[in-house]
Amino acid sequence: MTREGRAWVGTLLAVAFTALPLAAQADEGDKGAEGETADEVSSLRPKLEFGLEAKANFRQSDENQFPIKTFGPPFDPPMTRFLETVNSGSHFELSDLTLFADATWSEHLVAHAKIDFIDLYERNPTSTADKVDVDELWLRLGHDSQPAALPAGGGGYFKIGKFPKFERQNDRHLESYGLVSTAFNRIEDVGLELGLDLGRHVYLKGSLTQGNPVFLRDPNALAGDNGTPEFRKKDPNPELKNGIVIPYDAATQDIDADGNLQKGLGLGVRFASEDGANGVDVLVFGRRRTLADHVDFKGSFYGADLDLLDGPDGIPELPRKDVTFPLTSDRKQEVGGNVWIYFGGGSFFGQYVDQDLGGLGRIGYEGELAWRFDLPLGASFAGRQLFPSVQPVVRYSKLDPDFRPAPKSPSPSFAWQWEKLDFGVRLTVIAGLDVTAEYAKNDFVLLNGTKHDNNETLVTLRWRI
Amino acid sequence: MTGKGKTGPLLALLLTWAAGASGEDLRGKIELLARGGKGLAKGSDVRQAVVFFEPKEPRPTRAPEAPFTITTEDKEFLPRVLAIPRGAKVRFPNSDPILHNVFSVSGANSFDFGLYRKGPGQTRRFDAPGLVRVFCNVHHSMVAYIWVLGTPFSASPGADGTFALSGLPQGPGKLTVWHEQAEPWTIDLSIPIPGTIAARLEVTRPRIPPHVDKTGRSYFRNSREKYGG
Repeated sequence: MTREGRAWVGTLLAVAFTALPLAAQADEGDKGAEGETADEVSSLRPKLEFGLEAKANFRQSDENQFPIKTFGPPFDPPMTRFLETVNSGSHFELSDLTLFADATWSEHLVAHAKIDFIDLYERNPTSTADKVDVDELWLRLGHDSQPAALPAGGGGYFKIGKFPKFERQNDRHLESYGLVSTAFNRIEDVGLELGLDLGRHVYLKGSLTQGNPVFLRDPNALAGDNGTPEFRKKDPNPELKNGIVIPYDAATQDIDADGNLQKGLGLGVRFASEDGANGVDVLVFGRRRTLADHVDFKGSFYGADLDLLDGPDGIPELPRKDVTFPLTSDRKQEVGGNVWIYFGGGSFFGQYVDQDLGGLGRIGYEGELAWRFDLPLGASFAGRQLFPSVQPVVRYSKLDPDFRPAPKSPSPSFAWQWEKLDFGVRLTVIAGLDVTAEYAKNDFVLLNGTKHDNNETLVTLRWRI
Repeated sequence: MTGKGKTGPLLALLLTWAAGASGEDLRGKIELLARGGKGLAKGSDVRQAVVFFEPKEPRPTRAPEAPFTITTEDKEFLPRVLAIPRGAKVRFPNSDPILHNVFSVSGANSFDFGLYRKGPGQTRRFDAPGLVRVFCNVHHSMVAYIWVLGTPFSASPGADGTFALSGLPQGPGKLTVWHEQAEPWTIDLSIPIPGTIAARLEVTRPRIPPHVDKTGRSYFRNSREKYGG
């Protein structure tokens, strides 16, 4: 670990141990105000809770192909290749089977695990990657407030393990993601995180993590096949096709301790009603790390980080300048802001991110508006109301890169202007079971100025217990 | 001492008793005003108000043996507002085909029936005077109020806001007009009062008051992020 990395770890630990007594005080304050509830646990034996989530989908994906430049060996003789819709057409899929486990010693000592046994849409992006994935595995000491929820008072938490980035939207109302979420904070990272509540309304976040390797995927449901063994063939025909890809923060690979850690900082302000029905939370954040020359990526022979942006190598006939993106540094940095607004059954989430990816600039923003309407009591089953609520949702997102690819880059779509409009409706069938029907309209502008789209319809039956 | 002198105090006592037995009437009218007092409030039901008079010399209340009833029906409490004498019982039958969990965290009148299905429900006796806020732990929109009164003099207004209290003892006391969407209106007065009392209440509160579930947690947060992104 570098000297800078050690300094960050030291700082985080020092602040964490300063914050923990405050957290303990806040704990006592909670009990005084509300009384200890029957289900709270304060012994050495944790309360264990398990959950299960399963999703079945109907997916209809438009079929589109966009030719990309030819290049030499190993694709000799030269051939035209395409960026193609991932697994186009109509499909029924069992897309998700996830186990959740929580061990709760008290509100201030919690461990959490989330394991995907099937996750077609979230796992590492190729069909040959790991099928079982530990999505989250962390231990938290102290209290962490949800966005726009007021803590009892000052305090904080310290978290270690694999966990979502603190700026991620954790209550999406569609199964799809916005472009900004996909590009920057959809996937969990590994490391340490610290949160400090400076009173009830102002908070700080800090993290020191491994950093998600930069890889490529299609922003629609399926990521696509890139760098699978099929691509070593002369005339590759991958199972899922490669997708119309953007660079994104992909799943962390094997834990490395090379000291090349990502530092994250956030400052937030929140106001909310005491009952949690209404609230607003504004968070500004920044992350920075050094891009690795190469990161091995499970399920793909493409390397991540700079290796990906450098373009294909080992092709003597192709000068580097013809395939590499115009990289000017090894710095990866995101600066952004989030806003969460809750108003009873309504909610809005907005995010803005300005990224510097080795000198490649990209701006992204997205906003999601949702409203849940409670439905009158009609039919019931096993003491639960059938169709208790319906929730229409609309989300707009945009990625605006300010760089151009090399003339023979295999991934020109990295530089396309991209807009995505997702809209849909989620109908709760019964508590724990819902159906979400949504449509994703992807519009992008190619480098030659022509406009195209690549759209997708998704209907998801989701079951949670 | 003359005979007149002997019967005078007794006569006075009998007259006082007679006046107390028949008592005085008090009439009034409640108006619910929009925020800022700008005209009548729309959408607020004046019939949900409770009017009660507390004489300076407290009078005993008598709780009936049979319980009052608040039914859960179509994800609502019916009636929404109930005034009962101290010591009375209230039964909470569930006529919905779904589970409810009726509870209150109102001080000495707190209770929690847990989840229960359609059926006669459970009964709770209320001994502590005051307002009992009743909620359902499953359905945030379900709200009811029980006024446990230490006075026998109470009334509910009609649709036009008029009310009448009868049998009031002469002398000083406090009149309270309560509505769920307004600050309570009170006045000290001395019975009898000629004419009609006018009570104007400004509607400043939502129909569903801010409240948390029985564990002190938000109804909204529980469903928002349990499973994460």
